[in-house]
Amino acid sequence: MLRIENARRTFFAGTPDEKVALDGLTFSLDRGDFAIVIGSNGAGKSTMLNAISGALMLDSGTIEIAGDNVTRMPVHQRARHVARVFQDPMKGTAAGMTIAENMLLAELRQSRARLRPGLTTARKARYREQLSYLKLGLEDRLDTQVSLLSGGQRQSLSLIMAVMGEPDLLLLDEHTAALDPRTAALVLGATLRAVEALKLTTLMVSHNMQHAVDYGNRILMLDHGKLKLDITGDEKRASTVASLTDHFSVKTDRMLLGG
Amino acid sequence: MEEMFSIFVSMVPVTLAQSLILSFAVLAVMIPFRILAFADLTAEGAYPLGGAACAVAMLAGIPAYLAVLIAFAVGTLAGLATAFIHLKFRIHTLLAGILVTTMLYSINLRLLGRPNVPLFRETKLFDYVSFGPQTANLSRIVLVGVLVVLVLIALSYWFRTERGIAMRAVGDNPDMAEAQGNNVNRAIYLGVGTASGFAAFCGSLMVQSQSFVDVNMGLGLLINALAALMIGETILGRRSIGRQLAAPFLGSIIYYQLISLCLAAGLAPSDLKIATGAFVLLMLGLPILRKQGRGERLAADKVRE
Ligand SMILES: Nc1ncnc2c1ncn2[C@@H]1O[C@H](COP(=O)(O)OP(=O)(O)OP(=O)(O)O)[C@@H](O)[C@H]1O
Ligand SMILES: [Mg+2]
Repeated sequence: MLRIENARRTFFAGTPDEKVALDGLTFSLDRGDFAIVIGSNGAGKSTMLNAISGALMLDSGTIEIAGDNVTRMPVHQRARHVARVFQDPMKGTAAGMTIAENMLLAELRQSRARLRPGLTTARKARYREQLSYLKLGLEDRLDTQVSLLSGGQRQSLSLIMAVMGEPDLLLLDEHTAALDPRTAALVLGATLRAVEALKLTTLMVSHNMQHAVDYGNRILMLDHGKLKLDITGDEKRASTVASLTDHFSVKTDRMLLGG
Repeated sequence: MEEMFSIFVSMVPVTLAQSLILSFAVLAVMIPFRILAFADLTAEGAYPLGGAACAVAMLAGIPAYLAVLIAFAVGTLAGLATAFIHLKFRIHTLLAGILVTTMLYSINLRLLGRPNVPLFRETKLFDYVSFGPQTANLSRIVLVGVLVVLVLIALSYWFRTERGIAMRAVGDNPDMAEAQGNNVNRAIYLGVGTASGFAAFCGSLMVQSQSFVDVNMGLGLLINALAALMIGETILGRRSIGRQLAAPFLGSIIYYQLISLCLAAGLAPSDLKIATGAFVLLMLGLPILRKQGRGERLAADKVRE
């Protein structure tokens, strides 16, 4: 479903601040894969998701989604394949518009917006039903401006919007990190149910090792813009937080030794 | 006092006719500013451009109803130019608008050949709806009133279609709109272009109403339009797209009656601009002052456009 080959991206090339954020990154995901992406701060996780969504162009390398070479495609064209939820709840929704209008935009992600009435009764009924799965009472507030929602409600709405239309690829970048523990658990729960029910091919960035152990069928560890580990199958099922942190500490030891 | 009142009352019809025409310029300022979050000054240049284009067309024998459409089209080009300068060269929207307005001044002069051109013999749009002698204001009010209603209906339909809602999202959160598959640049071209089209359309109506065109007729248009918009938004609020669309029209009608009242009360026309400027400043500043009054801290980098 996703194939990344030899992806490279350098920031501030040719200056003392030069930073290789993606350094020949190569891997692929099969349809239905649910991969948890881990790695220390600055490893290149967000850069990778930006490159996949089109928010960032690669210096070299190729990206294919659902058999389409999207390497040079702008964000709005890749939207046909990709949906994304950001860490910041403000980023994924249009604050000055209503819940229903936001959901309409998500519904139109894979098609062209046309010159016909947007919020039909049929659509609103569908949105009401989709929101009711969240059990946040949002289904009764379709015409409420999103700016009036709490961060958790906004992030839940972002999630519902992202899974609408069953995208080929779902990108989640620490999407529960800005929420309080209870809300984070709620949004994570909704995420897991949706990914499971719709069999969505998903990349979920998380700093929580327990999540990497408990969820998904793959663990991808990034380090200095490269894929350091790709754990699948029995090895994934056997992984523990301890075995994962070992990989981190190896690096830390090396850093302490100046290597 | 009584005299002032009778002067004001006698001016109501002519002021109403003027304000209905000028409400299209307020609309032209509102669309980029409020719907696309694109602070745009092109209206100030597109308005006389529309007037000049309309006059030139009419002097060449083109009928009035075609002349206003030509004005709209030419105005749209001006808006597209501003959007292009901003999107292509990453120049601030305000500066892009100033550049286009500045260049339009020369273009308008070229079009007209001299700063001021009368349009006495040509048949105006308003002549098509004459209600008899001494009813010039009535035919203006009726004709432009009908145009206002038609434009309001069309825009409220459009901004509730899939494409209209997508355009509003571009102004609200461009990154999100793009991630949901919308071509942000195309929406900006369409919105800013159409808005300048309305400004030029407004200029073409004004020129036909006053029977002459002047290259300086755009001076101060923007600040008046902003003041009118603020009034409309204060009364109607901005909670729904319907209110947002109606605000320019209601605001324009009330604002120009207030100006007329000030004049009737003896305010010198030359002092009007400082009054208008102070009013806009107050409307823009009030929410901030209120926040400061409540002791809320403002982010240091949050500057209003
Ligand atoms: N737009 C940018 N301009 C310059 N440098 C950038 C940019 N985006 C990322 N970087 C740099 O690229 C490297 C990788 O950053 P990235 O945000 O991808 O890391 P990450 O794995 O998401 O980290 P975190 O866990 O902190 O979110 C970092 O060194 C960062 O400073
Ligand atoms: Mg990150």
